[in-house]
Formats: sequence, structure tokens, C-alpha cells
Amino acid sequence: MNLFEQIEPLLLRVQKPARYIGGEPGSIMKDKSQVKARFAFCFPDRYDVGMSHLGMKVLYSVINKRQEYWCERVFAPDTDFEALMREHHLPLYALESLEPIRDFDFIGFTLQYELCYTNILNMLDLAGVPIYQRDRGENIAPIVCAGGSCACNPEPIADFCDLFFLGEGEEVDLEVMDLYVKMRDAGATRSEFLKAAAQIQGVYVPSLYDVTYNEDGTVQVVTPRDGAPARVRKRIIENFDACPAPEEFVVPFSEIVHDRAVTEVLRGCLRGCRFCQAGFLYRPFREKKPETICEQSKKLIDNTGYEELSLCSLSTSDHSQIEEMMDGLLTFTDNEHINLSLPSLRVDNFSTGLMNRLRRVRSSGLTFAPEAGTQRMRDVINKNVTEEELMRTCKIAFNAGQTSVKLYFMMGLPTETDDDIRGIIELAQRVVDMFYEMERRPKGKPVQISCSIATFVPKPFTPFEFHPQDTREMIAHKQKILEEAVAGHKRIRASWHFPDASILEAVLAKGDRRLCDVLYGAWKRGCIFDAWSEHFRYDLWLESFAEHGLNVEFYANRPRPYDEVFPWDHLDYYVDKAFLIRENEKAKQAQTTQHCRLNCAGCGVTKVTGHPCFDYKALKEEAKSS
Amino acid sequence: MVPVRATFEKRRRAKYISHLDLMRCMQRAFRRAGVPIWFTEGFNPHAYLMFPLALSLGYESGCECMDFRIDGDMSMQEAMERLNRVLPPDLQLKSVAAPVRKHTDIAFADYAVCLDCADESVKADALRAAWDTFIAQPEIIVEKKTKRGTAEVDVKAQAQIMMTQTLEDGLWLKLRMPAGTSVNVNPGLLTDAFLAWLPEHAPDVRTGMMHAERLAILCEDGTPFR
Repeated sequence: MNLFEQIEPLLLRVQKPARYIGGEPGSIMKDKSQVKARFAFCFPDRYDVGMSHLGMKVLYSVINKRQEYWCERVFAPDTDFEALMREHHLPLYALESLEPIRDFDFIGFTLQYELCYTNILNMLDLAGVPIYQRDRGENIAPIVCAGGSCACNPEPIADFCDLFFLGEGEEVDLEVMDLYVKMRDAGATRSEFLKAAAQIQGVYVPSLYDVTYNEDGTVQVVTPRDGAPARVRKRIIENFDACPAPEEFVVPFSEIVHDRAVTEVLRGCLRGCRFCQAGFLYRPFREKKPETICEQSKKLIDNTGYEELSLCSLSTSDHSQIEEMMDGLLTFTDNEHINLSLPSLRVDNFSTGLMNRLRRVRSSGLTFAPEAGTQRMRDVINKNVTEEELMRTCKIAFNAGQTSVKLYFMMGLPTETDDDIRGIIELAQRVVDMFYEMERRPKGKPVQISCSIATFVPKPFTPFEFHPQDTREMIAHKQKILEEAVAGHKRIRASWHFPDASILEAVLAKGDRRLCDVLYGAWKRGCIFDAWSEHFRYDLWLESFAEHGLNVEFYANRPRPYDEVFPWDHLDYYVDKAFLIRENEKAKQAQTTQHCRLNCAGCGVTKVTGHPCFDYKALKEEAKSS
Repeated sequence: MVPVRATFEKRRRAKYISHLDLMRCMQRAFRRAGVPIWFTEGFNPHAYLMFPLALSLGYESGCECMDFRIDGDMSMQEAMERLNRVLPPDLQLKSVAAPVRKHTDIAFADYAVCLDCADESVKADALRAAWDTFIAQPEIIVEKKTKRGTAEVDVKAQAQIMMTQTLEDGLWLKLRMPAGTSVNVNPGLLTDAFLAWLPEHAPDVRTGMMHAERLAILCEDGTPFR
């Protein structure tokens, strides 16, 4: 049932209607009578955010490459369109076919951040699909699934999903679809299918696990049923260089947050910054060869027509052959009027050679993330960046004519003192001083250092998962110190946010299955788009917590002992808890850990992959010869 | 370098592409199609593309206009074929030719506007009667947004009603409106004024969806802009 006739009369009554009608170049149309399974790939945020997400483009392309499967896109409608959809009983539909997603085989959500969880409930409701998994009955379709980084602790949304994909989806998504088609055609029920799917590595079926709690509210034990594995291990793509990248993107009509071609250059991160969840979740470190990157980028530019190419990774300057890669890319981007942008650069390996290449790239200012203001604090979080390195990098940037630098910091880190907070502004001031000491500094615009200071959120699968988050009062105190410290510094701008959203983020990140009902209660009270400050209603969240006899402090502000059973302990992301404990102990002593290319820290990854992540012998010889 | 004036159509899903988005979409289409379009010179070279007359969001058209220059060895015909292969089916080029008139020669545009009755309880004859009363007013003053705030204009004096027809479930109008680089009057000004007038003067006449289509872009002498 194509909904075009019902959608059309509503479109001119809403902002940016192009978001709701599809038909963009690169969108894949198929004949539904010719496909065996349909997948609604849902991004639980607005079109302009979701369309910027590379993971969606990757999986859209992987599924659609299979002739017999059709993957379509779905986004959360903005509030104006949602109101009209509800008023006119228009169900949530996919942008390619314009058909209701409740008739699809799979409804899959990508979990990029915790504050989009209420949108998932809202989208299921708009689709007309029962929100709780237990209410979906024994009809096999639709299977509600989810994957992405937050799937590492999916317990707060476990009651709403049939299954979760852990780790990288390129292979496991298709394996699950294949199994589904086979079992559906044989007449299987939903629970029969879920039991079978739980046997695939990387698939977590929460309804097959019983959770019991201790009197103090912590998890007692998680018990698998019906042959489900006691520990569910994530999936990775072993040979990342050979992993097919999307050759086409859906190119939107309306402007989106990241409107450009994107090539993934490496996966995982070798740094081991102790606060960074992505740095542990996506291990091991794997890179693509410069030739592969250039070939894939060229193809993508040709097929999308984009005028800008961006490289994507957790730390692009850690690519072992970044200069070769840049030279290869610049040869065609220069010729074809393509702008090249390089986010995620580090200050400790940012060379003049790289800057010279970057100079040919149109730039709107440089961003670096020292994360903390004092060396002690940076050692605690294992950022492994020194002040000299930051100064050197800023100097390279100033020498190249830049006058504005953006610096990212966090507050509320473990062991943090008031001096560490003041250190943020002091560090920024030393960058300003260095600028004015330069004899040949850029003339014209005055120097501007923007400091953006986020509230730290401890996350699962990091060495800081044991740490309490700072309370609201502690954060308020630190923000006051910042305010006093920055007063009178004309060339420094500092910005921060109210901590409530970060507190909720910590709660949902480290939460257990009891939060499902709290989440449902918050949504029922009207919470959606919690990540958008104009929609965020912390008071309604607190009401829902109170209704269910739970409180945020238990989840966010409680130190967690090493022997506690965490809600996510039955999920295996290759990284040992013993390693996380070791790292946490080193953090307390402000001891750093070398990055993976220098020395293997024994995180546990090699036990699964069966081989070291780097050829240390070759690296040593290479270091000797140079 | 070959200057080209292309006409293209914008229908169904493509109606909702805004003017700014359309420019971006076309620029990218040229790159995808591998058509060697001329880039402006200077510090920030960009593909040279001109749209002499913007089309309002939600309007269909079979006669939109776009100017570009081919900078290389490719015929106009081939450029059109290549572009059509990479453009969505609802956004397709219809013809290519060397430009004849200047952009400033554009003087009028013709539109077809179709206004549906809200449902079966509203009779098309009643809608027609309401329209006839509305349009018989000596002047119809509306507020028009300009670059410097709003101005009051008599939209009746601006619009030429070329044809009025009563359909089975609605009203069909053909309107000629001033158009061009200096003055541009959207037929929506007149229909919006009608919709705003209805509740007070003919409360039973409720309307549904409005369909609008640009039929032609014309010069002062009434000949099509080419």
C-alpha cells in the first residue's frame, strides 16, 4: 500500500518536506513482489542527522546488494509532521516504497546514543507495532532488531527488541535475514526463529535471558534459556581492507549535518584513552590500504557527485600510511574541484608534512581534543598528549595562517580536582600567549581559542565503567570554577551545558533491564528527542523513575566494585574485564599505557583473533632503519 | 565553450525540492553524469548554473529553465541524456538548446491551479460560486513579503484570469502572473487570499488539497521564453 496520496496533502504544512518523500538520487527501488525480505532501517532521530550516518549507508548498501532483499530508510519525523501523521492516521512508512513499515520483515534501529531511546518507542508506536516484545505474538514478522555502539549494553531497551546485533553488521545482518527467510518459508513462529537466531555469533536475543537482582538492586545473575549462549560475542570483519564499502550514497535534496562523501579509512583505535568507549568497543585496530581508500573514494565521488570528501575513523592520523593516502587523494580531488576534509586528527603525530597537504584543503579552523587541562589529568585518562605537542601543533596551524583553534575538554573525570578544571583555561591561555610570542604570526584576525567542555559520562567496556559520574552539584561547582577562571580572558571562549542530559546518558548507558519500564513511562509522559535541549524534559524522566521506585543516583553516581555483576557482563566485546580493572588501577596512579602499535597492552583481543594486532618485529626494524 | 539552456520538469516527489536544494542537486548531477560543465574562475571555483526563475515549493512544472555551459567535447544532446540517467525520474530534462532571450526578458508565467472540495459534502458549484463572488471584488489587497518587510499589493490587478472551469469535485483556474527578475507574483497569493476569505463569506465551502503547476514562462510579447 503506497501512501503517497495520504502523505502529499500534509507535506506543504511542515518544515522541509523533502525529508518525508524520498526519491533522492541513489535511493534503491525494487519490485516488492520480487524480493524475499524487506528491512526497514530506522534511524531514531531526524532525517538530517540520520542521513549523515555512515553506518546506515554501509548496511543499506550491503543488504541491497543482495537482489532478494530490499532495505529502505526510515527516520523520526519532526514534531510538526508527527502531529499531522497522528491526526490523519498515517502510519510510519519507509522512504523508498512509501509503504508502512509494520508490513516489513525487519524493523531495525541503529543505536548511536542513549538519548534517542524514547524515539525508538515513538517510532514503533507510529508504525503501529506493539512496543513491548512480549506483545508481538507468534507471527514471525516484523522482527524488531537493533545494533550499533549502544548495543553493548542494550538492557534498558531489552524488553522492546526481538534481537540485537553486537559488533559489526556487514555479515551478521545477512546471516540473520537468510535464516529468517528459510524459517519463515517453513512456517516457523517468532520464538522458534529467535531461538535459532541466538545460535549465530553476534546475535543477542534478550528474551532468552532471565535476570535476577540482589536486594541492593544490583544484578544477581543472568541465566540463558533454550540453548542460548551464556556469553554472546560481538562480530568483526577480519579482513577490513577487503570489506566492501558503499559505492553509492543516497544523496539528499535537503541539507543534512554531514553532506559529503565519506570514506572509512580505519576501524578500531590503538590509543586506549580510558574514557572512550569507541576506543574499546571497536577493537582490534584495522586499516585500509591507501590504494583501497583512493579507489573507493574516487568511485564514491563519481557516483554521488559530491563536491566534498571526508575521511572517517576514530583517529585518522594514526593510519600508518597517511601521507601516501593523502597524496593519492589530493591528486584527484585537486583536479576535480573536490574539497577534502580530515576530522579526527591527533596532536601528537600531526606533522608539517600533513599540514602542508592539509593547507591545500579548504579549512574553517582546526579542532583538537586535549580532553583535560593538566598533564596529571591527561595521564589519568591515558590521552598521551603532552602540552608541548599541543603547542607545537597549534604553532604549525598558526604558521599556516589559521587564527582560530577549537579545543575539546571534559569535566567530571575520575580523580579530578578544582585545579584540573582551572588548568583548562590556563592551557588555553598559554596557547594564546604562544600566538603573541610568534614573530611571524598571522596578521588581521585576532587569535581565538574556543574551549568546549563536556560532562564526562562513564561508559560500559571502558576502564572507567567502575566510576561514579559526578553529581549534579559537583558539576555545578566545577562549572562555576570555569566561569570564574575564564572571566577576563578576552581571546578564550568557553562553553558547556547543563549536566542533566549527561546524567540521563550515564543512567541509560550503565542501566539494567528494569529501566525499560522507566523508559516507557518517560515516553508515555511525552519525552521524545531527549538529545535536543528544546525537547528534553528531565522532570518527566524523574517522575517516571519515581513511579517505578528507582532513582538516577543508583545508576549514575554509585561506585561499582570489581566483583559486581554488571548488566552487560554476559556480552563479550573481546576486551577482558581483568584488563579494564588493570587500566583503572593504573589510572588511579596517573600511569599511562602505551598505544597498541608500540606495545601490546593485553586487552584480550588477541585471545579471540588468535594473532597479534601488529607485526611488532617489522615495526621495530622499520623504526631502526628510519 | 557552449552555452546551453535546458528545460526540465519537476513532478511528484520532486515537487518538494526547494530552490536552493535544486541547485545543489543539479550540481551534483553534472558530476555524476560526467558532463564537463564550466566552472567559474577565481578563488572559489564552482560549477556555473543559472536558474532564471525559481519555482515555489510544492508546484509542479513541465517548463523549468536552467542555464549552464559545456566546457569540453560533448554535444548538448548527449549532456541531456547523461543527466537524465542520473537524475530522479520525477526530475528530468525535456530539451536543450542555445539560449535565445536574456533572463531579463521574462515577464509572465502561466499557472494551472486546481482546488479540490474538502469532501463529497461540498459541491463544486458552490465552490465556483464562491470564487466568482470573491474575484468580482474591485480589488483584492494582500500582504506580500518583500526584501524589506511586507508590502500591501492588489493581487487582483496583478493576476490575469485566463480560464475558469468547474470540475466534478473542484475548481480549475488558469492564471497569468507577472514573473521575472524584478517583479514576481506567486499565484498562491491569490488562492491564499481566497482561502482566507472563504470562512467568513462562504463558511460551508471547505476546500481540500490544492495542486498547482507552472505551464509556461513567457516574455513581454507573450511568446515562450527560450
